[in-house]
Amino acid sequence: MKMHEGVRRPDRREVRPETVFPYRGMWPILILACLVSIAGQAPSSPAADRLVVYSGRAERLIKPVLDAFQARTGIQVDLLSSGTTELVNRLQVEGERTQADVLITNDAGSLERARELGLLRPLSMPETERAIPSQFRAPDNSWVGLSGRFWIVVYNTTRVKPGDITSILDLAAPRWKEKIAIPNSGSEYLQAGVSVIKATYGDEKTKRFLQGLKANAGTQVYQKSSQIVEAVAKGEADVGLVNHYYVYRHLATQPGAPIALLMPDQYEGGMGAIMNVAGVGVVRHTRHLDGAKRLVEFLVSQAGQKMFADLNKEYPLHPEVKADPALLERKTFRAATVPLARLAELREPTVTLIEQVGLR
Amino acid sequence: MTTAFRHIPFPPLQVFAAATAGLLTLPLLYIGFLALSADPAVWVRLWATRIPELLINTVSLAAGVSLATCVLGVSFAWLVVRFDFPGRRIWEWALVLPLAMPTYVLAYVYTFILGMGGPFPLFPPHSFAGATLVMTLDTFPFVYLLSRAAWLNLNVSFEEVARACGASRFETLWRVTLPLLRPAIVAGLALVILYVVSDFGAVSLLRYQTLTYAVYQQMTGRYDHTAAGILSLLLVVIALVFLVAERWFRRKSRFYQTAGRYRAPERKRCGPLGTLFATGYLAIVLGAAFLVPAALLVRWSLSAIVQGAVDGRFVGFIWNSTVLSGGTATCAVVIGIPLAYLAARHPSRFNLACLQAAYAGYVLPGPVAALALLVLFSHVAPFWYGSIVVLVVAYIVHFLPAGLQSLEPALQQVTPNLEQAARSLGLGMRETLQRVTLPLVRNGFIAAWVLMFLHCMKELPATLLLRPVGFDTLAIRVWLEASEEYYQLAAPSALLIVMLTLPALMLLVSKDWRATRTR
Repeated sequence: MKMHEGVRRPDRREVRPETVFPYRGMWPILILACLVSIAGQAPSSPAADRLVVYSGRAERLIKPVLDAFQARTGIQVDLLSSGTTELVNRLQVEGERTQADVLITNDAGSLERARELGLLRPLSMPETERAIPSQFRAPDNSWVGLSGRFWIVVYNTTRVKPGDITSILDLAAPRWKEKIAIPNSGSEYLQAGVSVIKATYGDEKTKRFLQGLKANAGTQVYQKSSQIVEAVAKGEADVGLVNHYYVYRHLATQPGAPIALLMPDQYEGGMGAIMNVAGVGVVRHTRHLDGAKRLVEFLVSQAGQKMFADLNKEYPLHPEVKADPALLERKTFRAATVPLARLAELREPTVTLIEQVGLR
Repeated sequence: MTTAFRHIPFPPLQVFAAATAGLLTLPLLYIGFLALSADPAVWVRLWATRIPELLINTVSLAAGVSLATCVLGVSFAWLVVRFDFPGRRIWEWALVLPLAMPTYVLAYVYTFILGMGGPFPLFPPHSFAGATLVMTLDTFPFVYLLSRAAWLNLNVSFEEVARACGASRFETLWRVTLPLLRPAIVAGLALVILYVVSDFGAVSLLRYQTLTYAVYQQMTGRYDHTAAGILSLLLVVIALVFLVAERWFRRKSRFYQTAGRYRAPERKRCGPLGTLFATGYLAIVLGAAFLVPAALLVRWSLSAIVQGAVDGRFVGFIWNSTVLSGGTATCAVVIGIPLAYLAARHPSRFNLACLQAAYAGYVLPGPVAALALLVLFSHVAPFWYGSIVVLVVAYIVHFLPAGLQSLEPALQQVTPNLEQAARSLGLGMRETLQRVTLPLVRNGFIAAWVLMFLHCMKELPATLLLRPVGFDTLAIRVWLEASEEYYQLAAPSALLIVMLTLPALMLLVSKDWRATRTR
């Protein structure tokens, strides 16, 4: 065995005890090396043509857009992609020392929360106001929505008929016991979705809905929506609650998967589908305001919009940009009317409600 | 212990140890502050909804994994130390291979193998059984390594005396050998338990709700960290209970090797049937823990390469991972030595307290230690803020105990007599340390370094939260891809982690001079 070939010499310990410690004199060097290598990593002063983007959007969905921006402007973009709430927390702790210039998230509530905390900078940019309708922006343009996503029901086509469910609230019915898959209580989508239900139907009804959801899901509580779609496709669950693009994404890689998407609450007088947006804001303490504004400008431009939305099969918010043809036509369904900016104020009471019910 | 030594003052070492211990406790204090300053209503709500389930899950997982790793680890050590069969030497080192496999990778592989539509849907992976299986397969080498080293180090004359006095083979094993091994086994189990209760990657992929997983969910899903603080504090309490129990076990039994000369124990030669049984047993477990997952990773990696997903960026990921882990492990060993030395040789209440304080970090779940450090650094050392230094400190806080688990027994093995002899022969304090103590404990140090290196290579939650912008490690790459279900794309990074940690493991095995002696 090769690794034991190190036994060529007799055991040194027995032969010459004076010379046994081979690392003598090495510790100070090692320590010094450690310190030097660490100190060398201290953040250098940021160059003018660089931008740091904190993104709650998955790397693969945002990097191509940023690469296109970089190619077009020559501004180098460094990306930190992580969880949305995590990034807002991080920005808050970092305060004015932050390296971040731009925040991109998948949840309007988180952007609004960042605005309330004073982490974002109000923008007066005619480009954004022309491109993005006002209901998808913060009142002071601290953040701007970029693409729309809908919280929908995915179902296994071999087990469920589309007529079985008309509303998200149906999932709390006893017939779905052990048959549904839901995201965990830390998911921004779930929190935003429940916030909309709560704003529409009030606390009591929402609580009963959550209790039913909890009982029906059992252990099928997932960290990631993609896992929910996979569970439904495999038949581990009959139906699941996810954002619409996860279904298309799964179908893109596995065209034959027995799943389909159901746009809930479209019946006469129904609440409408629960909508959220991915959006962008410029960090208040940015040292690269011009570059950051150019990035926002690019993202709301027709080319940027098309790319940003299509990468994740979302609906562009620019009225003149068409969604991916694979998607359900946007005109065929309506969205719930709760304003996006309210998602922030609704969030803490919603989370408390979710915790009271004891969702995982 | 020895009164002669107790009166020799060690001011610089003592001060250093005290300062380190103080710094290492800061994150814990912050968490305690966060939890205890919480609104009692939050406590009540958590008790009513989440805590009982989380406590039961965490403790039962720790218990299940301990039991299983104890059986596997000790029986493997027994096989390779006391028996001879073809291939024994290969098994001897191959059994540490699972240490190179990150737990979250193993977890995914098993969701594939055991999951619906997988090759062996024996039982659902998203369960207590699944989590226990994955954690056991990943952690049994801790018990194996430590009990094997102790077994090789065992003075056979104790057993011979027992046999000469008429004890049966089994009685000797049960009443002499195993009690002598107990400190090593318990130390191994402590490593396993701390690893299990602070694991995040595997339990989150297996959706098994433990305290650490719940803390991470709270940390990443909420703006308010009170609930996370409360759950963390519970976690710390659980781990402290385990640690105190471990120290109690070890305190009760302290053994010194009095003779400097060892004789190799007789190895029992196995017949064909015994060989078949031993090989089969080892092959099944090692296959499940390493060979099959590694083969799957290779297969997935190949298809990722075909897809063109492996490019020049990987050089950067590799560099980041290795330099970060290697540097951290070195720093941690340097920091850990004074703590372990003082506690092993001058176990005053103060020194023991310093050591215990250093253990605290292991039970601070990655995300919580990360948050505490972010706040501390932004107030105390803004210059290093947002740099890799914060990450290194988080690793040291989190993994120093893993190293201490090796440093401490290593230092305990040296009898004070040897050092006293050196002193009485005229060597100074420093020379005694350099020429007597360090050579004797060198292997413990190497083991400590390697273990911390391995932990750092695989660490996930703290890295996710603290990495500087643009600083991706291999573990981050695995997670970014795997958590988006792109398992094939995650495979190359996972495989690279395994390949980069293997040389460190080899070092661990080949440096084991006791193994060399007994061949």
